[in-house]
Amino acid sequence: MNLAIQPVLLPLLTAVALLFWGRPSPGRRAFTAISAGAQLVVAGFLIHLTYTQPPLVMPMGNWAAPYGIVVVADLLAAIMLGLSSFTALATILYGYCEASPRIEHPLRLPLVQFLVTGINLAFLTGDLFNLFVAFEVMLIASYALLTLEADNWDVKQAFPYLAINLVGSTLFLCGAGFAYRLFGTLNFADIALRARAMSDDPRVTALALLLLVVFGLKAGVFPLYCWLPNSYPILPAPVAGLYSGMLTKVGVYVLLRVLGTVLPHDLAGVHTLLAWLAGATMIFGVLGAISRNFIRGILSYHILSQIGFMVLAIGLFTPFAFAACIFYIIHHIIVKSSLFLVGGTAALLNRTDNLDRMGNLWRQTPLLGVLFLLQALSLAGLPPLSGFWGKYAILVVGLEQREFVLVGLAILASILTLFSMLKIWNAAFWGSSEECEVCVWDWRWLRMSRVVAGMVAVSLAIGLGAEGVFRVANRAAVQVLDQEAYARAVFSVTAKGTPAGP
Amino acid sequence: MQIETALLIGVLFACATYLILQNSFVKILFGFIVLSNAANLVLLSMSGAPDGREAPIAGQGAGPMVDPLPQALILTAIVIGFGVTAYLVVLLYRLFLDQKTTNAAELYADQDTSEHT
Repeated sequence: MNLAIQPVLLPLLTAVALLFWGRPSPGRRAFTAISAGAQLVVAGFLIHLTYTQPPLVMPMGNWAAPYGIVVVADLLAAIMLGLSSFTALATILYGYCEASPRIEHPLRLPLVQFLVTGINLAFLTGDLFNLFVAFEVMLIASYALLTLEADNWDVKQAFPYLAINLVGSTLFLCGAGFAYRLFGTLNFADIALRARAMSDDPRVTALALLLLVVFGLKAGVFPLYCWLPNSYPILPAPVAGLYSGMLTKVGVYVLLRVLGTVLPHDLAGVHTLLAWLAGATMIFGVLGAISRNFIRGILSYHILSQIGFMVLAIGLFTPFAFAACIFYIIHHIIVKSSLFLVGGTAALLNRTDNLDRMGNLWRQTPLLGVLFLLQALSLAGLPPLSGFWGKYAILVVGLEQREFVLVGLAILASILTLFSMLKIWNAAFWGSSEECEVCVWDWRWLRMSRVVAGMVAVSLAIGLGAEGVFRVANRAAVQVLDQEAYARAVFSVTAKGTPAGP
Repeated sequence: MQIETALLIGVLFACATYLILQNSFVKILFGFIVLSNAANLVLLSMSGAPDGREAPIAGQGAGPMVDPLPQALILTAIVIGFGVTAYLVVLLYRLFLDQKTTNAAELYADQDTSEHT
């Protein structure tokens, strides 16, 4: 069986098995954790394989490209798969520590696995329409998870999320139709070959702009981010950790893929537009974070601000900028989801995450304070933590391209990030007020912190071993931008003689 | 046929946008249904002018066929759209049960998330 399809098949089969398993029990939980661990191992093996070899290609149902749907695992896709499996595993374990099986919702674990299926399919697909299907699998699972454990107030916030994503899906459908009309194919490799000859056709630019709207909406780029900051805080902490890490980054990944591998590289106007939208996203995201007064709200706005950094790197559009973007994604996914988990633990200890009513955490639970501080400073970009290297690389590219205004905006956003992180720190950790009680007797927080500590360790390792990670990111970036090699890999797989589909 | 289809798509998109921007849940719901149908029509019109060509059904006459791929795409899109619409109906019904209103403006009148904990 072909390895490239495993990251989709494993969570899908796990989800189906969990649906039939019935009530939550320790055995069901152990099965899910083992499956999530196996997914991580598979993803790690894929990274190992694709680091030295050309992309792995699997023609679905043995129909060779461009007629059949292909699944392509190159280094970037493998890295993203590793990140999604890692985040899923960590958040699942965190969820185990937070609640006993007796009160766990029986549908939560299957839906998380369906969500991972959709995310992984989006990373692996080599076909524009299949990407639409992957988005829909992911979105339907995310709608369901969003409202699964929601109360009356929370359900209200799910509707704007659903509505704006429905509009986005419709636009994507139209975009896929236009692409088919324009290029006569939906296969990424085939589009890449055909689009190069027509790069001065205004219709290609129009299509790129339409796709920019669709993926920008998924990623939360400047004018299209209003759905995110109100919908993420309604999620339970472990699920919020997964959402904040992965969902918007799928949009960033697809922007990398479509602008780097699929569309011609000389759409300079689109790239400049993207860079300036990214600048606006950074500033508005971080200003939104400052305006909020509860941890999950602040962190949700920070996702947007950080998305701005990644998209800025894409907009600068050099191989090194792409490498910086990939490094930033690797850093951001782990830091962001672990911050959400720290926030969940702090909220458990203080029984609220409203900063006005929090406090005393540093004195009672210094471990949690250290974890928060490491990740918050990493998010703000202090050396030698992982965030610093990502921001540094992006700023270097920005200075090389003489985009001084954008570089200035990025530095301003970093300083404001530090400010809003200190706001959480001052209120929840250092603040001491008599009224707020810290429930240290609630034994769950220690186990939850241990899970987070594992993520923080990985994040620290990325910061300290930045050179090695950057080498991998660089190779992934070169691979993403090499359209000929991608097309060669896809078309070299003929239906005859390749392993049959599962 | 192409011009008529394009005009129809435009009208459908305009109607859908108008309906989605209304306050009533039912109108919003209809808006999304019209919107997904408009997108399906976009896909259909991408198979080229159908004049003088046959529907892509296996075993039929030997005449030229319209491009079958957009039709396959629409089938997928219809199924997905159906599922999401079903979810939307249930969500709107739950909002109605919780909040005792079918008016979006009333529902979000007190929107100030910074007060929520």
